[in-house]
Amino acid sequence: MPQNELPSSQRRTFLTVLLAGLGTVLGAMAAWPLLRYLSPRDRGDADTKVTLARDKVPVGGAEFIDFRGRPAVILQPKPGEFVALTAVCTHLGCIVKWVNEKQEFLCPCHGGRFSTSGQVLGGPPPKPLESFNIKLDGDQLVIG
Amino acid sequence: MLKRAVDWLDVRLGVRELWQENTSGYLVPRNINAWYSLGTVLLALFGLQFLTGILLLIHYVPDTEKAFGSVETIVNAVPYGWLIRNLHAVGSNLIVVVLLLHMLSVLFMGSYKRPRELTWLSGFILFNLGLGLCLTGYLLPWSQLSFWATTVATDAAGAVPVIGPKLVEFLRGAPSVGAPTLGRFFALHVVVLPGALMGLVGFHLFCVRRCGISVPPFGKDAKPARVGTVFDHEKHPGGIPFFPNYTAEEAAMVCFALAVLVAVTFFAPQIFIPLDALEPANPFVTPEHIKPEWYFLWAYQTLKIFPSKLIGLAAQGALMTFLALLPFIDRGEERRPAKRPLFVTCYVLGLLLLIGISIWGRYS
Repeated sequence: MPQNELPSSQRRTFLTVLLAGLGTVLGAMAAWPLLRYLSPRDRGDADTKVTLARDKVPVGGAEFIDFRGRPAVILQPKPGEFVALTAVCTHLGCIVKWVNEKQEFLCPCHGGRFSTSGQVLGGPPPKPLESFNIKLDGDQLVIG
Repeated sequence: MLKRAVDWLDVRLGVRELWQENTSGYLVPRNINAWYSLGTVLLALFGLQFLTGILLLIHYVPDTEKAFGSVETIVNAVPYGWLIRNLHAVGSNLIVVVLLLHMLSVLFMGSYKRPRELTWLSGFILFNLGLGLCLTGYLLPWSQLSFWATTVATDAAGAVPVIGPKLVEFLRGAPSVGAPTLGRFFALHVVVLPGALMGLVGFHLFCVRRCGISVPPFGKDAKPARVGTVFDHEKHPGGIPFFPNYTAEEAAMVCFALAVLVAVTFFAPQIFIPLDALEPANPFVTPEHIKPEWYFLWAYQTLKIFPSKLIGLAAQGALMTFLALLPFIDRGEERRPAKRPLFVTCYVLGLLLLIGISIWGRYS
């Protein structure tokens, strides 16, 4: 074997490292589009305002809507007073139900209870329901 | 860590012996050529089709009202959706090209002859399954092109005597192409045909491995196609190891095919995705000069050449049956092309005829 020639084990190691490096680069190049393809898309509605006809929300009643991709609920506890809350329970993410007779929310999964302002009345939820801005614009409610 | 895992498996399943037997201990003919690697190229391309197909399923909606929009969303809104969709569409065309090359090389080298009749037959069915996947997948984007190409393709079955009209309706699930057609083509494309393809690929590979790779029929190493009274695995003492020697050559061919796929996908996807594919299907407006995909042009033109569609359909059926049963018809032992002038003449003329009819179909 000439003096300047590497032993075959070293050549093999060099080739293995080279191939592994190349494989990693190619793998990353293929993985990036895959990751981006599978990642949730930016809905572009982070600041979107949702409008709803005022007469959809009766006094003492609730109207469930889709707000920025998640369920939300609009209440009118007193005439002309509107509240917008997320309908997602803060315990384990179930959707709360409106119990008209008790004028409160009940989570059907583990019995969490929330007031009309979203405060926890009982059960396991650790924090209140998130509320959103809501204002009346003519006969339309503007949420967000 | 990896060594310990392999040790654990080796003690229980003898994986090292299995690996050795099928890689470095598996000798293939010394004069094996690049054409033999087309099967591996097909495996890689089919694998990619499965992967991109699964990814497309995440966003695709098989509904006549939403299908086109969902494909539009994939291409225009989903990050890298265009890449996944175009790889899938271009990949399907490339698969047909490689399938044809694979079949043509097997024909030319006489590798279909005994004892490899079942390898050929399963391969020929796989070729047809591949075309079936192309046909069923073509409709799914619900574009003008896919709608009308499917209308024309399914209409051909109407030439079958007596049951023709019923057969067309059965294929479509309705008198004309519509929601029931999309439903059944979708089921065929994503479940039935891929399942059948996977099973048959397994059988095909089993046949290849069990019979042994045939020696290229060139030079002094050429062997006649013979079968004895008992099973005999064709061994190649003095051959080269399948791994790493031949695997490296196969990997190079796979890389070449992937390079072609990526080049067309990036720079010329319009070859396989023409303008009519960018308009949603309109059952009331047939685009002008509607033509099937390039690999169905020969069949399309054959139907037009013959005075009746039935004769055209019968001619196609006869050709396909002849090809499927070729190893049982051509029972000669000779595999060397130079010693098979009649076969080579028919091969070349048949190929030219097929290309000629396809070009005629394209410009007629």
